Amino acid sequence: MTAIALALLPFLPVPVRSFFRKVQGPRIQQWLLGGWALLVFAFLYIPILLLIIFSFNDSRLNIRWEGFTLKWYAALLENVTLLHAFKNSLIVASITTVLATVLGTVGAWMLYRYRFPFQRAIGLLIFIPMVIPEVLMGVSLLAEFVHLLKIPLGYTTLIIAHTTFCFPFVLVGIQARLHGLDPFLEEAALDLGATPVQAFWLVIVPYLMPAIIAGALMSFTLSLDEYIVSVFTTGAQSQTLPLKVYGMAKVGLNPQLNALSTIFIIGTVFLVLFSEFLTRRKNS
Amino acid sequence: MAGMAVSAAATTAAATYRRRPGLMAWLVLFPLIAWLVIFVIVPTIMLVVLSFGQQTGMGSITFTFTLEHYARAFSWTWLNVLWTSVKYALITTVICLVVGYPVAFFIGRAPASMRNILLTLVMIPFWTSFLIRTYSWITILSKEGLINGFLVSAQIIPEPITLLYTPFASVLGLVYNYLPFMILPIYTSVERLDNAMIEAAYDLGAGPVRAFSQVILPLTAPGLTAGALLVFVPSIAMFAITNLMGGGIPPTIGDVIYKQFTSGRAQPFGAALGTLLLLIFVVCLWVTRRQRED
Amino acid sequence: MKTNVRHLMMASLAIFAIAGCGKPPQPNVAKETAGQPTTSAPASDEEKKLNVFCWSEYIPQDVLDQFTKETGIKVSVENYASNEEMLAKLLAGGGTYDVIQPSEYVIEGLIKENLLIPIDQAAIPNLKNIAPEFLNMSFDPGNKYTVPYMAGTVGIVVNTDLVKDDIKSFNDVFQDKYKKNIVVLDDAREIVTWALLTQKLPINDITDENLEKVKPILSQWIPLIKVFDSDSPKTALLNGDVAIGVVWGGEGALLLNADKKFKWVIPAEGTHLFVDSLAIPKTAKHPKNAEAFMNFILRPEISQKISDAFPYLNPNIAARELLTAEQRANPASFPSPDEVAKMQTFKDIGGQATKVDELVTSLKAQ
Repeated sequence: MTAIALALLPFLPVPVRSFFRKVQGPRIQQWLLGGWALLVFAFLYIPILLLIIFSFNDSRLNIRWEGFTLKWYAALLENVTLLHAFKNSLIVASITTVLATVLGTVGAWMLYRYRFPFQRAIGLLIFIPMVIPEVLMGVSLLAEFVHLLKIPLGYTTLIIAHTTFCFPFVLVGIQARLHGLDPFLEEAALDLGATPVQAFWLVIVPYLMPAIIAGALMSFTLSLDEYIVSVFTTGAQSQTLPLKVYGMAKVGLNPQLNALSTIFIIGTVFLVLFSEFLTRRKNS
Repeated sequence: MAGMAVSAAATTAAATYRRRPGLMAWLVLFPLIAWLVIFVIVPTIMLVVLSFGQQTGMGSITFTFTLEHYARAFSWTWLNVLWTSVKYALITTVICLVVGYPVAFFIGRAPASMRNILLTLVMIPFWTSFLIRTYSWITILSKEGLINGFLVSAQIIPEPITLLYTPFASVLGLVYNYLPFMILPIYTSVERLDNAMIEAAYDLGAGPVRAFSQVILPLTAPGLTAGALLVFVPSIAMFAITNLMGGGIPPTIGDVIYKQFTSGRAQPFGAALGTLLLLIFVVCLWVTRRQRED
Repeated sequence: MKTNVRHLMMASLAIFAIAGCGKPPQPNVAKETAGQPTTSAPASDEEKKLNVFCWSEYIPQDVLDQFTKETGIKVSVENYASNEEMLAKLLAGGGTYDVIQPSEYVIEGLIKENLLIPIDQAAIPNLKNIAPEFLNMSFDPGNKYTVPYMAGTVGIVVNTDLVKDDIKSFNDVFQDKYKKNIVVLDDAREIVTWALLTQKLPINDITDENLEKVKPILSQWIPLIKVFDSDSPKTALLNGDVAIGVVWGGEGALLLNADKKFKWVIPAEGTHLFVDSLAIPKTAKHPKNAEAFMNFILRPEISQKISDAFPYLNPNIAARELLTAEQRANPASFPSPDEVAKMQTFKDIGGQATKVDELVTSLKAQ
């Protein structure tokens, strides 16, 4: 009923429309959007639910349900290699996120605010790590690290590689947010006596914060799962989770991996809800 | 109308507002540009040099100067593969846009305390390993999988339908993996939407459709463009998803280039294909930037 | 907003805290445990380290741990998912690896280009455990450089619940009635080899002429294929999305173990044998440790552990005796000796690999 009414809305005379708008419009809108968002979240989480369920499945090749068990969790806690690889992934992803977010944010601001030689070219070149097929990036960085820069392969080279292909994502996101920046905001801050650095940190960064957070989330996600570039730029000690996992398909993905992902997901959801709880506590 | 006017004013103001960097700014600019040069430009140059070389034997490259790889690239096989990848990327981008925009809008207009949580919740599924997520989808879509199992036992269909190892499955996988990269950038534009402006549009007699197309859409356009870029660009060279969920059919440019470094034993050819991809992209971007500035 | 940033930082600290728990894998760097049988005699002046570069999941972790326990040599492992990935990294000079795990056709090339160190057979007495048909093979006469690790074949798997016909050959598989019901390896050279076999052409004779001859066969075969997958073709078969597959022996063995409805068939036209071996690259820093490792792997009970984890063709006769009757009876793991005798191995085909790849890709793209 509401759907039909809403569909007819554009054709009703103005006074009726504004009545709908003021009283119900935004609310109905948010409800509909909320329903859609729920569907999309369901879409995003259904495979995750499945993999969580399968982490309790008593079957090596996870095709059918064959009984409840906690043995994969037990085995996981003793699987030092997998855990170490996971720890490496977390460390590399975290450092990459920090570096990429800084590079992306400051880079976007510099491109937006200042005029310097080759600016247009630089604006295009930052897209290269996004376009370039990962194997090309991996091989070329490997060649550069080994032959030109003579850096031994390990955490450093891995983080450099990850940061390089993550920062364009942050940069593009920040640029979008900068589009709507009131140009006189910074001007006002400077007029009030702030240095450009202070103006950036105290005025611009808070404005950019949603984009910075979004960029950081994207960087973390990209780095956590990166396989091909990692193959070519890592050393033996810095093996990340995807490197250990990608060959697993040959003998069937070990359900210990399901257990690992389950623990991590539940852990993060918990953290997120906990921080929300803290915020509510603080505000009440 | 109002929205477009405001954003246009802002852009022109900003465009005339760019100033030359002072010492402090150069100190900041220098490491950024250095990073770009050392880790982006130099490897790309190395790749271009590779594309003019020749591979012998196991993998040793001799640096002659030959255009044979570029000549080879301009044949129906490879151009067709490239076009297929672009097609899939386009379809994925459009679907992500349609599916993701309302979600981004919802999150952006949600109460402030909820926003970051919702954003993080969007990302969390992708902190599992890519392989198990994809194998989960395979379990859902396969002939003896969840969807078919449900449809058959509920007697909606007599026989299981083929969902997996089809273009449909490939696109589904691509949309699934790239949706967050559409939602997050659009969100950043939605978040700064001023309620007052939308209310004003309604008060001036605009219907919901006009309010959207004339006010909301233009104001969120930057986020939309960013989202489209962050989905379209990387998905062209993405091949793991088509390989796993599409059965490896049709071959994608990412897979082809990868194979040149493995079984194809033609690294310079792979580099040439990659360079062409870069070139095409850079030219397109340059042209669209040019158009926008006019 | 500020509170949110603070919470983000809290969250990251939490992640670090959790990640910090648990030690990195220090495989027990033991002081020499008394009373160890000295089948592995670690070398005198080399560091007690070993860098292994191998296929993912191909060497079980407990095997590595046991090696460290007995010899005190710390093992660090890097993985790759294909021979060529290994080559690309090895040739770029990135890592210094002591042990690599190349397949047979790669070994030829590596020897020719002088990229391997000869092994000291006196340091690897357990070589005697290997079946004679796996010693002195054409790609490494006299086993001067390599030691066989695991072998396998490529064959046909049939889901007898879905397919009632008797499938015996490649030609039986690639019929119109099985259109879009087949999974094959995503390996251009493999597919071309099968076509060559149906034409009774030598499988290492990959000339332009022969490629032209098999092109029509491939154009007929390729549209019939639903899935190309070299990593885990068993998935499509287990899920019932396809009914027939042409897959690695190891995959076949896993399928047979999973469900009795799967049948393994060696194609009537013949098939080839692949042999993965252990070798020492020229840039190795700990060659003596590597030899000790090789000798360790060839011990029957160690080799048995590997077979337990991966049901491939184990060339180690002494190990085979330790396997269960069921394991030995798996036809995908252990084809009969006469069949093995008929099989050839791949030779390196150099630049022709490019043409093979282009041929198959162009047919796939149509």
